[in-house]
Amino acid sequence: MSQPIVAVDHITKRFAGHTAVDSLSLAVPPGVIYGLLGPNGAGKSTTIRMILNIYAPDSGTVRLFGEAGTGRDHSGRIGYLPEERGLYPKMRVLDVLLFLAELKGVDRRVARPKALDWLARLGLSDWRMRKVNELSKGMQQKVQFISTILHEPDLLVMDEAFSGLDPVNSQVLKDTVLELRARGKTILFSTHIMEQAEKVCDHVCIIARGKKLVDGTLSDIKRTHGGRHVLVNFDGARGDADRIFADRRQVAKADVSGQFAELELAAQGDAQEILKALVTSGARLSRFELAEPSLNKIFIDLVGPDAANAIARPDAEVARA
Amino acid sequence: MRKVLAVIRREFMERVRQRWFWVMAVLGPLFFGALFILPTLMMGKTGVKRIAVVDGTTSTFGARLAVRLDAEPLFIAVRVAAGPGTIDSLRGAVDRKELDGFLIVGDAAVDSGKVMYRASNVSSPVTIGSLEHVISEMVNATRLEREGVDPALVTKARIRIDLDSKKVSGGKETGENAAQSFSLAYFMGIILYMAILLYGINVMSSVLEEKTTKIVEVLVSSLRPFQLLLGKVLGVGAVSIFQFLIWGVSTRLILSQRRHLLGEPGLNDSGGFFQMPHVTAGTAAVFIAYFLGGFLLYSAMFAAVGAMSSNEQEARQAQQPVVMLLVASFISMFAMLNDPGSTLSVTLSMIPFSAPIAMPVRWAAGNLPIGEVALSLGILTVSILGVTWIASRIYRVGILMTGKRPNLKELVRWVRAA
Repeated sequence: MSQPIVAVDHITKRFAGHTAVDSLSLAVPPGVIYGLLGPNGAGKSTTIRMILNIYAPDSGTVRLFGEAGTGRDHSGRIGYLPEERGLYPKMRVLDVLLFLAELKGVDRRVARPKALDWLARLGLSDWRMRKVNELSKGMQQKVQFISTILHEPDLLVMDEAFSGLDPVNSQVLKDTVLELRARGKTILFSTHIMEQAEKVCDHVCIIARGKKLVDGTLSDIKRTHGGRHVLVNFDGARGDADRIFADRRQVAKADVSGQFAELELAAQGDAQEILKALVTSGARLSRFELAEPSLNKIFIDLVGPDAANAIARPDAEVARA
Repeated sequence: MRKVLAVIRREFMERVRQRWFWVMAVLGPLFFGALFILPTLMMGKTGVKRIAVVDGTTSTFGARLAVRLDAEPLFIAVRVAAGPGTIDSLRGAVDRKELDGFLIVGDAAVDSGKVMYRASNVSSPVTIGSLEHVISEMVNATRLEREGVDPALVTKARIRIDLDSKKVSGGKETGENAAQSFSLAYFMGIILYMAILLYGINVMSSVLEEKTTKIVEVLVSSLRPFQLLLGKVLGVGAVSIFQFLIWGVSTRLILSQRRHLLGEPGLNDSGGFFQMPHVTAGTAAVFIAYFLGGFLLYSAMFAAVGAMSSNEQEARQAQQPVVMLLVASFISMFAMLNDPGSTLSVTLSMIPFSAPIAMPVRWAAGNLPIGEVALSLGILTVSILGVTWIASRIYRVGILMTGKRPNLKELVRWVRAA
């Protein structure tokens, strides 16, 4: 296996009163989209900030591009989109982009045509001489996204990448990220929205309470943590479903929500037996499918009580969706 | 270093582009011009005074004084014979504003120099000065005549005294008189205080803006917090120097044209309390050195204040101790103007927090040993390094902090954190 782009080795960060990240290790291979997943407060942002050397870890090391030096030393090769977005409200759009590119070591004259090109691609050409605070939130997000990739970084780090984006911008961002990967760049992003991670990630690392629960390629994780799954959709009548799902000889775990259920088969369980039992008991089915577990299911199984905690927080509403 | 330059460039360009910079550039010289011209205008414009001379003399002295005063452009004077009720009726006239005041002269005027003046306003130095001058001239002449000196000889012997005071600096006369030294000291004190406060707070708002907009996180992923702070302070400092250049040039223009602006040929350079000083290269160097020193010292503190606050209101509160430090230095300037060599003045010009105002004021007001300036600059430099070290540590932690403002104990922990 080639040298990882990001190698995090047992990093720990304590803040007054609690440990935000607890001896966490992970490795991001080159050319992949890597998802750092976890409920709110799991330590995702802190981990990312330590990778970028915004915080120094209390213990442990971070190695980037297989070379010595901190995130700041390599900042010219890294693009960073923080969770809380923000630009200078009174600066002109183009000036902000050129300034941020300069901080990444790109000459203004080199950055200028690239910035204009990106602004055109994202439909912001007419706004280039306007002040940032005259733009809508969505447009500001796009400007900030341009600023993170203008210097053509080898590693793109996005904290809560898709939060606060409307579906259109979300799609633009996703397309750009996929395009960057196609060009051999590495993308590391954090999210608590599993559906998004499932769609774009090659690798994932799930953390909770500052500790790693599992990491690996998405398919490996599904294989090892999935077991055999059955997806069931009712069409009205549910028959004796509740009793059948409670039969631990057949079903190890059932996740029922209204007309839908995701079942994890017990070791000796037989999907055909369950199907027969359901139909016999009078249930009407529109779907009965043997499937891989969704990332969301794995996440909830692994994280368990933490997920429940997370939902108590207002900004966690999205996580449930 | 290129990154620091980028920060300097941004701070400079964004400020110079703002409207307030140019408003200040225009208003500054007008304000400073007014500072010099208004007092002159107000003191000069006393108007013609109508006075009565109550003559209680047995000689012709009272009558001659009235005629002599009436000849002055500043007065319209009439003789009134002393009698019962005269004083009371004149008091009534002053009350009704038919009269500005009245003089009471008796034989004692010539014998012992005692004359009384009663008026609605006795604080105008111009009126009182002229009265004293005319009366003493007449009294002296009368006394000499009484001793048998020929009045023609008295007139001939009398010359006008012109006290030509010049400041001695570096073993040379500077061609600067007392009024000019005073106004230079006063002017430098005010401008240093205002500039350090204005641009210090500018640094604070800049820190606060980056913190509240959260862009600081992107910035410190690219450069060290200290580089960011350095670029910010230098950028704002460059703006202030640029502003001074504009002010310096345009204030000079306005003052050189002030006779035209006032339209009064009578108010010449020797007349006012405030006069345009000659700014020597040495004075300019002291001014710039202490401005930069003061700005660096205070902007470091203001930056720390910005970093530890999470919004404007909090910052306004947290900046109070720093502002008070500066205000105290400014107020003590007035004590120093009276006696630039006093122990208080020397002490204040050595304390780094007051030195940026105190030392230039002392320099302008009187001659100073170079050794004292060097010592004061040395202390200031060491303090800047110390304060910047502490401030940058507070800054480094503070810019990424949210939530409540830290107390003193937490601040100490921030500074200590590796």
